[in-house]
Amino acid sequence: MSAALSRVLQADWFGPLAIVIVATLVIGSIEPSFLSSFNIQILLLAVAVNCVIAFSQMIIIAVGQMNLSVGAIGGLAAISFAGMMQVWGLPGPLAALAALAIGAAAGLFNGALIAATGISAFVVTLASLSVFKGINLGITRAQPFYGVPESVKAFGNTTFLGPIPWLVLPAILVVVAIMHLLNRQVLGRHILAVGGNQSAAELSGISVARTVVWTHAISGTLAALAGIMFVARLQLGQPSIGDDWLIPSFAAPVIGGAVLAGGHVSVSGTLLGVVIVAIITQALVIFRIDPFFVQVVLGFLILWAVGINRLREIRVERVLGRI
Amino acid sequence: MASPTPTELDPSSELDAVADRGPLLSRESQTLRFLLSNEFGLIVLIAIFAGVFSLFTPGFTSPFNQFTLGRTMAIDIMIGFSMMVVIVTGGLNLSVGAIGVCAAIGFGWLVETLGLPLPMALLGALALGATLGTVNGILIVRSGLHSFIITLATMSIFFGVMVFLTHAEAFRIIPPEMSAFGKMRILSYVSPLLLISIAVGVLLTCLYRLTPLGREMLAAGAKAAAAELSGVRIGRTFVICHSLSGVLAAIAATMVVARNGAAIPSMAGGLGQDWLLPAVLGPVLGGTLLTGGRVSVFGTFLGSAFVTTLTNGLLQFRVGEFWLQTWLGGLLLLAVLIDLARRRYLARGGRRMA
Amino acid sequence: MRRSDIVAKAAIAVLGMAALSLPAIAAESTKVALVPGGPHPYFAAWEKAGQDAMKDFKLGAADYRIPQKWELSQQNELLESLLSQGYNAFLVFPGDPVGSNSTVAELTENGAPVIATAGCLKEPTTALFCLGTDTGNSAYLGTKELIKAMGGKGRIAHFSGFLVDPNTQLRIDAVEKAAKETNGAVKVVQVITDIDAPEPAEEKINAYLAAHANEVDGIITTAWIPAVVASNALRKIGDKRIQMVGIDHDEVVLKAIKDGFVHGTMLQNPYGQGYIGSFALDKIRSGCKVKPDAPFKTIALTNRFIDSGTVFAGKDAVDNYVASMQAITKEIFANFASTYLSCP
Repeated sequence: MSAALSRVLQADWFGPLAIVIVATLVIGSIEPSFLSSFNIQILLLAVAVNCVIAFSQMIIIAVGQMNLSVGAIGGLAAISFAGMMQVWGLPGPLAALAALAIGAAAGLFNGALIAATGISAFVVTLASLSVFKGINLGITRAQPFYGVPESVKAFGNTTFLGPIPWLVLPAILVVVAIMHLLNRQVLGRHILAVGGNQSAAELSGISVARTVVWTHAISGTLAALAGIMFVARLQLGQPSIGDDWLIPSFAAPVIGGAVLAGGHVSVSGTLLGVVIVAIITQALVIFRIDPFFVQVVLGFLILWAVGINRLREIRVERVLGRI
Repeated sequence: MASPTPTELDPSSELDAVADRGPLLSRESQTLRFLLSNEFGLIVLIAIFAGVFSLFTPGFTSPFNQFTLGRTMAIDIMIGFSMMVVIVTGGLNLSVGAIGVCAAIGFGWLVETLGLPLPMALLGALALGATLGTVNGILIVRSGLHSFIITLATMSIFFGVMVFLTHAEAFRIIPPEMSAFGKMRILSYVSPLLLISIAVGVLLTCLYRLTPLGREMLAAGAKAAAAELSGVRIGRTFVICHSLSGVLAAIAATMVVARNGAAIPSMAGGLGQDWLLPAVLGPVLGGTLLTGGRVSVFGTFLGSAFVTTLTNGLLQFRVGEFWLQTWLGGLLLLAVLIDLARRRYLARGGRRMA
Repeated sequence: MRRSDIVAKAAIAVLGMAALSLPAIAAESTKVALVPGGPHPYFAAWEKAGQDAMKDFKLGAADYRIPQKWELSQQNELLESLLSQGYNAFLVFPGDPVGSNSTVAELTENGAPVIATAGCLKEPTTALFCLGTDTGNSAYLGTKELIKAMGGKGRIAHFSGFLVDPNTQLRIDAVEKAAKETNGAVKVVQVITDIDAPEPAEEKINAYLAAHANEVDGIITTAWIPAVVASNALRKIGDKRIQMVGIDHDEVVLKAIKDGFVHGTMLQNPYGQGYIGSFALDKIRSGCKVKPDAPFKTIALTNRFIDSGTVFAGKDAVDNYVASMQAITKEIFANFASTYLSCP
């Protein structure tokens, strides 16, 4: 019994989940409209897109690297998606596939460069961030693409089964796919092994280069998917999509217990991290916090969230130590 | 968390090992060691690009352009130093920009509202920077959380408090000698701000090379556990690193104030995020390891100088406006690749020699 | 470190002497650079305005040169570089009303006249004058229109731009002022800022409407992206009870006005700013002076302000908004030289 309990207490997702539940109850009791179906829909929308962004970064954290170009790839895919529909009149699904391919190609470019040269991912993605963002601006000249077909707009803005937005579907697919990848697939095990200890992984016969290339291709594809989802939600291809993804993309996995040095990530923890940030953002709006004070509150809440999690970890460690 | 991630290791570590070999350094291997270094690579790259820019753009070598280039460079170098001293610990300080803006605004408030004399206000700004850096350091050490997440939160808090207190209003009545300093031109080419950055660089080099504290910082960054066994107080050392980072950010901020002639909340963008890129580029290009434990002050200096030169030259080149970033990123990649090729080539030569 | 730096500087200095110093100031034809604060759809009309001005007034150049990001330091670097490249007249949207002053001063000290365009610089400044939209007044007029549409009473939510932009505070104050004039009949119940980027705008505006849609009667937006996002949000809710006045001429906003989801928008005149500004700079360079007693307006930032026109466009005016802005441009242009300049 106590072993089971301690296992639950120890899990990455336990702390964030507790925070989510407490926060939902507190906010909901003060402001009942927080639990209205429309508000849940908005919350789900925010979570759906942001969690894809977070996973795009998480997979790179798992392999022990950082991808600073997540936002730039997402933005490039977003404007390509909207642009192909407007300029070439491609149907939505085809344009989406092409945009995903662009994202994958951008990720492959990053990964191949890192694997082939051994230059740190930080430097490569920092430079490619400029490259991708520059291509974005070069194509759009800072003008949005407006020619998004009705079907795409509808996908981004309608719901099923009551308050559940259609955009949640791709997000769920991604969650399932990533869980499957990390828990059941050879590639997933390789990613974590390389992230945990590269030389050991190499000694045990894992091709580090191949693993790194694949990981970046996945990250690029996910970033592109997030960009596409944003176009559907925003109903236009804004060139500035992706500019602000960097920090949120790291915040959620880290709140969810990912180890920045690699080898350990938590899909459920990351998902809950995204939910926490979304709830905090929404609570600040709902409670009409002075706009000039929002940033301060946001900062303290992040500290509080990770602090609680950390305290729990310490306590669990102590309890386990005593046993 | 402090365990180094092999993939983030400098690709040249193996090559450096060749150059590092043994205490019996012959003159040749010393030369080789220098030729293999990041610093030498950056000097070569700066020379190549500066040469190309001077040949093909009329404006690049003009005194005015050289002056503004030096001034921009000076600020970016200082921002790079501010990040570098934390990277030494294997961490990051995302709040450099936020601390910088707070120090600048604090400075503006001290001179404009309190009417303090310039030196006092400057000291006050540095003290504020040090305080905020110390807060970061203590939070990180006490909580045991990664500096990334702590400074992510404090970035929001520091900047938010500043915006809340000022409502984004700027302080613009700053001493005229301060803005005159920002516009001053030595021999019509050189900004005095650049001299400050050089001086700070020299001091930092002395810190890491000559003082026990500097060596403790490096030891703590390289292997926290081992350093602790050998008597280094890791916690204290990390806190000092973060305080130092705050001071350097404050120096950079006062340089920006001198350059803008005012202390403005928007000087580093929302949350001070605009500083992050220059902050990281300099140290990383200069060969400071993200995993901590190794530092190159001169490399950071050159790294920042290289990026500003590249940006300045590209602006002069008038490449299609909107494509400029693509060029910049592409050239950065090219530069890193050239540098890698150079070191591989030299290392092969070195092995043959040895 | 010192030695190698000196060597580098010396090398550069030698190269510098080889190439002739600044060809910029000596050039005789006017080369105008139109420099916005960063990439933003608002300024797209400047490019065309510059090209037209170059043709019509036979300028050496009138190029639209854009900083890569909304960063004051990037804009400063670009302006400095443009001066070295030989541009001798500048239309600048100040990245910061206070912080851009030192760079503008540097430009004017080097003999290049500057007009603060689309946004103003805070006095004292060496810019000739400010040609743009009175952001505060535009927000005030927009709120007045909104209040009219709301039947003179109700609750307003205000969505605005970046907090670090001092214009945001001016806009907040202006909206508040218009509401106060109703003696309590209209109240501003919420101000949401820092949302001039798609992601936070989408998240915060929708979150607000989800919780409080039935507690507001009107929405005023005073930045580009919030206007777009709020238009879409109202269309999605499908509720035409909430009145909204937007800003600028994004297609999404214009279409929402046509379809009746948005009451109207406050148009600005970027084309006129670029065109008239280029003209004025050329005149100044050919020896004209700004009349000290010209009928400038006084606004919060400056007492040398020329309004480039801001009009409210409702359902009936949306289709020919281009024509109406051109008409305003013509009107200002017709008397511009005689009103504001004294030429030899």
